[in-house]
Amino acid sequence: MSLEMKYNLKSPGVKRLMREACELAEPTEEYHACPLEDNLFEWHFTVKGPPSTEFEGGYYHGRILLPSQYPMQPPNIILLTPNGRFEVNKKICLSISGHHPESWQPSWSIRTALLALIAFMPIPSSGTIGSLDYTAEERQILARKSVHWECSNCGKIANKLSTVKIPELTQEESNFIKQIALKAEEDVNRKEVSNEELNDNLMDLQDTVQQRSASNGTYTELQTSTVDPKDSELLNQNGIWNAVVGILISAIVLLILRRVFFL
Amino acid sequence: MGDEAKNSSTTTEDVPQLNQDELIMAQQRQIEKEISESIPLVGELESILLLEHEYSNDTVYQEKVRNLSLKYSSIRRTRPDGNCFFRAFSFAYIERLLDKKEEFKAFYQKAEKSKDVLVELGFQQFTVEDFYDTYLDVLKRVGDIENTEEAKAELYTLFNDQGYSDYMVVYLRLLTSGQLQKEKDFYSCFIEGHRTVEDFCHQEVEPMYKESDHIHIIAACAALGTGVRVIYMDRGTGKAVTEHDLPEGCIPSVHLLYRPGHYDILYPV
Repeated sequence: MSLEMKYNLKSPGVKRLMREACELAEPTEEYHACPLEDNLFEWHFTVKGPPSTEFEGGYYHGRILLPSQYPMQPPNIILLTPNGRFEVNKKICLSISGHHPESWQPSWSIRTALLALIAFMPIPSSGTIGSLDYTAEERQILARKSVHWECSNCGKIANKLSTVKIPELTQEESNFIKQIALKAEEDVNRKEVSNEELNDNLMDLQDTVQQRSASNGTYTELQTSTVDPKDSELLNQNGIWNAVVGILISAIVLLILRRVFFL
Repeated sequence: MGDEAKNSSTTTEDVPQLNQDELIMAQQRQIEKEISESIPLVGELESILLLEHEYSNDTVYQEKVRNLSLKYSSIRRTRPDGNCFFRAFSFAYIERLLDKKEEFKAFYQKAEKSKDVLVELGFQQFTVEDFYDTYLDVLKRVGDIENTEEAKAELYTLFNDQGYSDYMVVYLRLLTSGQLQKEKDFYSCFIEGHRTVEDFCHQEVEPMYKESDHIHIIAACAALGTGVRVIYMDRGTGKAVTEHDLPEGCIPSVHLLYRPGHYDILYPV
């Protein structure tokens, strides 16, 4: 009710969002989305992790921010549930969301964006903005944890979906989803090329370093640096934690041994 | 050593790319904002001779404007946002139809049937319906006004309301895309690169702000069942401007002035 009072119902953009809210009002098996009570231009959504992937069994919740010019400009998607594929609290770089506005079409909708998100999750992130490269195991753990995840606004998200099967995709929709998948693959190829270039550069650097230094130590050190900087940071962090845990465990063992032998 | 290599890879590979992307986008937004603040979606009727002031230091263009003024009395500018052809064409055609009630009626009846054709071609019913409803709503609102001048004034108001105006553009883009796909055997010969007609429609016709080429114009004319005369004005040789009727040999209902990258509406003497 309050929404209808607040917005100019004659504006085509508002009418469109009202329409989409009606279309998406009934939760389905795979997705659900609805506008916030006091803001038609911000929605919360829940999607189910696609089956036969490391996201299976997971429930992922997030925000959809609609630009004032929607549907002329694309919606922005922000995930809130930790998932290992997209950074949380950050606008996602889907080929249909805000970072690539040129490929958005006004005849697509929030529903299309959600279908695209689900289809996009298992596709390798290849270092695009807002993406994460967690391992399959880490993603599975996050998927299991997500069942208990709660949104401060919507409550427990695992209850947000129903068992209603989604209507079969139209030709246009499945074409569109294929289109994104393709786009992502192209991106992967491009990234691979740039990685090769990077490796070549590093090889050159290694050669010159090798000429100068006789020890093999520097060589191995450089090799680790060809790993993505974020990953190596993660590795370093893991190393530190392992060391800390190791020290703690050996201290405990020493204390136990002292107790056993000296008392 | 290791750290050095790591740092250099971070700075050369990731950071500049991201920043440049964002800088370009920010600049683009800034330009778009300036344009939208200074130029209305569809402008007022102006005398064609005012164009001469625009080229006060340019004799080539001045000559051509004078040549143009022999045939055209006024010009109506549109906002250069990549949608200018669709907006100009849609506005000018409806405006002209308002003078001819019978033709308008026939056009309205044709428009009423246009949605089913698009849905048959595989467009999403749900969203097509949204644009279609607004399109028909605008046609109905201006068509219902008895007095022609008042009807034109209402059309002008609606076309300067971003919401309605953009919806009119989207629907004409959809109709154009539908036309291209319906006769894809014919149109595929005009598409450059290894793209199918469907790809071309998804990439160049349906998205907003994508500029129009000949192929868009021909398909849009075929979709509405009319013709356009495009007057080309550039720095090319000769004192006269070049005329092109699309499709060839038609009796044009709309006259557009094309200057590289942009279309405005022309009104014959």
